[in-house]
Amino acid sequence: MDLRDFYSRLSVDESLAEVMGYNPYYQKIDSGLNARILVNGHEMIDLASNNYLGLAADNRVKQAAMEAIKKYGVSLCGTPIATGYIDLFQRLEKKLSHFVGLEETIILPSCYQANNGLFNCIAGPKDLIVVDRLVHSSLIEGIKSTGSKIRPFLHNNLEHLEGILQRSIGYRQVFVVTESVFSTEGSIAPFKEIVQLCEKYEAMPIIDDSHGIGVLGKSGRGILEEQRIAGYRGIYTASLGKAIANSGGMISGEKKLINYLKYYCSHLVYSTALTPAVLAGISSVLDIIHSEFSGIKEKLINKQRQIYEALLEGEFKVIYSKAPINSIQTGSKEATFILNQKLYEKGILSTPFIEPAVPINEGRVRLIASASLSQDTVDEAVAIIKRIGLS
Amino acid sequence: MTIQSVLDKRPVITLDSHLLEDLRVDSLDKLMILSALEDEFAITIAEDDFADVVTINDIVMKLKARGFFEGTHSHL
Ligand SMILES: Cc1ncc(COP(=O)(O)O)c(C=O)c1O
Repeated sequence: MDLRDFYSRLSVDESLAEVMGYNPYYQKIDSGLNARILVNGHEMIDLASNNYLGLAADNRVKQAAMEAIKKYGVSLCGTPIATGYIDLFQRLEKKLSHFVGLEETIILPSCYQANNGLFNCIAGPKDLIVVDRLVHSSLIEGIKSTGSKIRPFLHNNLEHLEGILQRSIGYRQVFVVTESVFSTEGSIAPFKEIVQLCEKYEAMPIIDDSHGIGVLGKSGRGILEEQRIAGYRGIYTASLGKAIANSGGMISGEKKLINYLKYYCSHLVYSTALTPAVLAGISSVLDIIHSEFSGIKEKLINKQRQIYEALLEGEFKVIYSKAPINSIQTGSKEATFILNQKLYEKGILSTPFIEPAVPINEGRVRLIASASLSQDTVDEAVAIIKRIGLS
Repeated sequence: MTIQSVLDKRPVITLDSHLLEDLRVDSLDKLMILSALEDEFAITIAEDDFADVVTINDIVMKLKARGFFEGTHSHL
């Protein structure tokens, strides 16, 4: 045994970044998500963050966070089961449950953690987990930790899913796992139909609504509202770091499930609770959504459409999406990096996805135009996109 | 054919196709292939038994070892 051997195994393949003289990862951001963001000291247009509603730097949300800090300090230095469970925390659980229309909720430090911690509490080697082939890493890692049989189904393919469910007999419990909005594609799951299939085959549906909460539905309540899924008896998770513009992850469902997780989900029980500023920030965002959602959503859709049309004019292979996401099919990882770099050089920050975040050779460059971008900024982005596309 | 059905948008599959290099099969694709084979042949496959397969032919050999395809032409 030699420590050198250990460290020599830890090499990162940075050859692509070296060849290109550009690394899109861990870019240093020197500002908040303002009208323009500062990246490595340069002013840029943010089409990369998940700040869908543009509330991350909203003055009312900042104010709410500051008031919470004044009252409680910056941390309760304890996990929710111990000193972390302040009144703000409890009220937010109720507010989030009410928001998504489910019985009860727990709040974890992140949705990655929520998805990681959920599965090994509820599933084991005697169970089967049927999962959309394109779900997020946090779900895959959570699922893998259970020792359950795993069967992926083709992305959003109900026929394939039903075939698997038909043939899945003899398991203690079958789970069907998917996301509402697949953020690398912008595709939306036919979740209502998936829930119906689950009912037919007595499977338990689990949905990750990270990119749907605060975005989908008439009043922003997410996928269940969008697809009018009433009386949902499955499990629901979502990130509070995207449209909800703070951080954290929620798991919601029936009281029996949530109460069990409150004691047995080690990712919740043994991890320091979200801080007062974040709890207050989330609550404030929910209030804004409550009173202003339709106006904000209109702006969001309008901006997405302008970017979409620019991409079409620029002759990019862009995937049409009903979610406020524009995803360009770039293919190889080289082509993905090159487009991301061209955008960067012209002043647009975008998100590149290469394997393993997406299947091999299905690279994507994603653009998300926040509702709060000004028309001037969108005009500028549109001009840059068209110029790059036609050059 | 079973394998083709779970790999959309891929090149033609032959016995010599490498799962990784030619077919760009990642770990979830592989799980999907194994599931499809389980259904097709009504067998249970432990993932570990197929951990070392590199080509389509390797999969065929594994199935042959279980008594499939004797005297027939395999239609994967
Ligand atoms: C679908 C999905 N689930 C979970 C997560 C993780 O959420 P969080 O950032 O709250 O850990 C993300 C975000 O990256 C996501 O896109």
